[in-house]
Amino acid sequence: MMKKKMTMMGILLVAVFSLALFSGCAEKKAVVAEGTAQEQSSAAQDAAKLSAAAAQEALKDINFDFDRSNIGPEARGIMKANADILLKNSDFNIIVEGHCDERGTSEYNMALGERRAQEAKKYLINLGVDGARMKTISYGEERPLDSGSNEEAWAKNRRAHFRVVQ
Amino acid sequence: MKQFTKIALLTLAIFICLILPNQSSAKIYIDIDSPSFQQFPIAICDLNNISSGATQSTNICVSLADEIKKYLSMTGIFNILNKNSFLEKMEPGNPEAIEKVYFPDWSLIGADYLVRGNISQKGKHIIVDTRLFDVTRSELIMSKKYTSAYGNQKDLAKNIASDILLALTGDEGEFNSKIAFVSKNNDSSDIYTIDYDGSNLTKITNHQSLIMSPRWSPDNKYVAFTSFKEGTPKVFIKNLQAKAERKVAAYEGLNLCGSFSPDGKYLLLTLSKEGIEDIYSLNVETLRLNRLTHSYSIDVSPAWSPDGSQIAFVSNRSGSPQIYVMDADGNNVRRITYEGNYNTSPSWSPRGNRIAYEGRVYGRYQIFSIDIEGNNLIQLTFDNADNESPSWSPSGRQIVYTSKTASRSRICIMNANGLNIRFLNEKANRSVMPAWSSRFKK
Repeated sequence: MMKKKMTMMGILLVAVFSLALFSGCAEKKAVVAEGTAQEQSSAAQDAAKLSAAAAQEALKDINFDFDRSNIGPEARGIMKANADILLKNSDFNIIVEGHCDERGTSEYNMALGERRAQEAKKYLINLGVDGARMKTISYGEERPLDSGSNEEAWAKNRRAHFRVVQ
Repeated sequence: MKQFTKIALLTLAIFICLILPNQSSAKIYIDIDSPSFQQFPIAICDLNNISSGATQSTNICVSLADEIKKYLSMTGIFNILNKNSFLEKMEPGNPEAIEKVYFPDWSLIGADYLVRGNISQKGKHIIVDTRLFDVTRSELIMSKKYTSAYGNQKDLAKNIASDILLALTGDEGEFNSKIAFVSKNNDSSDIYTIDYDGSNLTKITNHQSLIMSPRWSPDNKYVAFTSFKEGTPKVFIKNLQAKAERKVAAYEGLNLCGSFSPDGKYLLLTLSKEGIEDIYSLNVETLRLNRLTHSYSIDVSPAWSPDGSQIAFVSNRSGSPQIYVMDADGNNVRRITYEGNYNTSPSWSPRGNRIAYEGRVYGRYQIFSIDIEGNNLIQLTFDNADNESPSWSPSGRQIVYTSKTASRSRICIMNANGLNIRFLNEKANRSVMPAWSSRFKK
């Protein structure tokens, strides 16, 4: 009887011990897990910092018709995606650049470029982006993407570009 | 009888009234603004050296005459006759010889006008005594003596040419004016000035950035312009004598330079600080702004009328850029161009009656002029280039503009009727946005 009690105590002891051991193990694991969580969150911060550069990659230009500043059907999809990026990443600002093709008057194009930038900014505001995060600048026809003098180059050059600034 | 005297007096008075204006206008020998205008044939003789012991082959006799010819031909209204065709020779060294003209010898070679002169040297000065004759009427029109420092031949020739022009047309021309323009080099551009004769090229800014729209103040002491030197477009005014620069407009968005008012107190601008490109008038001294247009469309490129009462500008309020005119306070806006769907860059003639601009025809940009009521449209350029940014000469008889092709853009000057095109500076390949000054005082 006594022997049986002893054995029971022994089992219990082993059990408790092993439990303690196990929990210790669990604790250790938790610490490790916590460590990875920290690493992960700092990695997430890195991703946000990187995302300024990545966002610059992700923010796509929109194009305009000749002598027009309205956001066309094709541009609307791009603007929606651009707005999503800006809404998810609120720790940087942007400069909306308006550009024109080489045809026409430099002065009128400077105004038209500004109008394109203003229209794009307004469109983003309507999609919920804070207007205070956005400034506009026009480069008119002075900074073409493509220096060619053909329809393809002109179409590329008539654009609004979204420049990320910290 | 009394009644008869009254009627006679009245008739006489009416007759005098009718005759007087004709007499005063008859003083202008050449009406170059008439539609039938053709270049006037003029004979300019080598000068007659009357200094004692001078040899007739003295270089200055020929070179000064050549300089006068050069300036007169720049006006585009003269056909300078080749001196090899001259029949009548002057007696060398005889001061009276310049007055002795056998007119049939000059009308025979087709000359309408004849220029002769004596030249003599006195110490460090040269004295030139000139005569201008009307060959068809066989009469003397002008007789004038000039004294000039030796070596200042160019200015002397300029003054003589200017007086000949004044005697014949009633206007001294553009000889003492300059043209400002942008010399483009991608993002590293600057503004230069050059004399009417293509000499004296001078860099007046050192921004090495995007720079545009130079505009002279009416007294030629300042040039206003837009520069991206600080990253965004801002308006500066350069004092050409003190070389100092003043930033006068740096609002958010676009700050684009327009034109000075005729009294020099205001500068028109295009600003987008309210989110819309509109025209403002800036008090140059206090920098106080007055907004002139309120449309939701683009309003840009304002140009003052010479009397200061009106402003021409570009607006796309009708859907495409067109030229509009408004009162100086922004009221009474009216559209003046209806031909084509792209009309920009208005420049108001100093005579007040016409506006030059560029318009798109068959995919090219060409210079046009139109009267301020929107009538009498004339296309002035037709070549296979993009012709842009017209600016009138002080007399309103010539227009400077940019001629752009794929490889180069150059500054050209033409007569207000589109004829007699000349390149201002052959060497400058990427010159744009010319602006003509007023006359500099001699």
